[in-house]
Amino acid sequence: MSTTVTAVGLVGAVAPVTRRVRAYFAPVNRAAGAPTVFDAAHSGTFALSSPPAPWVDLGWCTKFARKSETKIGALTTGAPAVVQSQVVTQVEATLQLEFESWGKLQLALAAGSQQMNLLQTATGAAANGSGGRAAQAVLLTGAAASTATALNVGAAAAAQFEVGQLVSVDEDYVAQVGFVGSGVSAAYVSSPASVANDINYIRRVSLNVGRVVSIANGVLQLGAPLLAGAPPSGMQVSPLMGFVDREGGGFFQEWSGLFVMDGEQGDRVIYHYPRLQAMQGSAEMAEALAGPLEKVKLAGAFRALPVKDANDGETVLCFRSYLPGAMRAV
Amino acid sequence: MQNARDTFYVTLRDRLAAVNPARTIVLRGVIRPGVLVEENELASATVPVNAFCLHWTGLSVDAQGALPLATMTCEISYATDGDSGNGGMDRGRLLSAMDAELVAAVSAAPQSVTKRNYVGAAGGSGLAPVAMGTNVFWGDAAFGAAVVNTERLERVATVEVFCYQEAGEL
Repeated sequence: MSTTVTAVGLVGAVAPVTRRVRAYFAPVNRAAGAPTVFDAAHSGTFALSSPPAPWVDLGWCTKFARKSETKIGALTTGAPAVVQSQVVTQVEATLQLEFESWGKLQLALAAGSQQMNLLQTATGAAANGSGGRAAQAVLLTGAAASTATALNVGAAAAAQFEVGQLVSVDEDYVAQVGFVGSGVSAAYVSSPASVANDINYIRRVSLNVGRVVSIANGVLQLGAPLLAGAPPSGMQVSPLMGFVDREGGGFFQEWSGLFVMDGEQGDRVIYHYPRLQAMQGSAEMAEALAGPLEKVKLAGAFRALPVKDANDGETVLCFRSYLPGAMRAV
Repeated sequence: MQNARDTFYVTLRDRLAAVNPARTIVLRGVIRPGVLVEENELASATVPVNAFCLHWTGLSVDAQGALPLATMTCEISYATDGDSGNGGMDRGRLLSAMDAELVAAVSAAPQSVTKRNYVGAAGGSGLAPVAMGTNVFWGDAAFGAAVVNTERLERVATVEVFCYQEAGEL
């Protein structure tokens, strides 16, 4: 062993060494144009597995690459021209990543447009690319109120469900116009006719989904809380088979993104994008494993949109925070 | 770098002991967790079986930053003859179990730990090791092929261990 005992003091600052990035998601209020703000000064040291509300864990991602497209031009005067000052001519930022897991949220973020649920079809429904006419939904109407993890549908209706089933929980479509979807705006409806007045349309696009893990006393127990929290009793539940997105959809999803790199020396880098929109259609990257086996990862490319910083009114796209490790030189 | 080696060894030893407390070895008359550092023990031609033997091999140092970053290669060799009660026919299973124990210990989060100086704690002094200012961190284990040596199955796994060399540290 070493023969020198080093006193603990201020340690030199080194470049963060990190393995991967943890991604988090939070909704943007589309109607009000209000993103979810993350305050790194207040919540920056949160445990990666338990992000502060309303942030939702998206799991690990790799090949995280952000790019500043901000352009700075020179103002020149005179002959010959001499640079007198500089101006910001364009503010833009993009980022790319690959999700290490597939789930409704990851698919939705990487879809580029509406991310739809493949609702269980009604008997005899005509075939359709994003799912045919949906089976009748089940009303939340039990004696007790439902919660974010327990859907009270009553004993009779509960018999229609099976453990392991996926469900979409949202309100009926009754001629709403504008952004629809509980918790997260999942689509924009321009007119009832454009969605054929489909009573299940909101449940078809909703991100408020879950998996039934047990059924007892007329209550469907979900494996994880619904994104929109406890549903009101007027909502309905539709079983679904999976998820589908389409190349060519015209809706831009928008959300707030948070990306955290934990350094091996106890430091942390946080990228907060208050407003992010997908800038490409759905894409996957194949990563060779062995032989013919490949791991298919969701690939996302996003463009940041601006917000005003309340401290000084500056227009910004991304907040990069650095939390040094303990007793590091700064 | 020695502090980092000691820290990595103690961390790995404790994690392996937690994964499988039954894996022990009798070394110089003392029952210990089945992990040892080859260079810290008496030179011997005997290959211990059913235990993890650490060999520190490669070393490189990047001195470009504020602190020199040392990269050390730790080879972890292990072998099994199988259980004599089973005629050694379970040697594949036992090697597989050791593979799994090593994966659990090396890949468990966090793959870093505060570097400690064990000088004062050595020799049964009863003193606690001194926590230092930086962390030791390491990558995943890379497993070599299982080698058949007569009735014995052997494998060598390699882990890259990283540490910053702090001011005044030898």
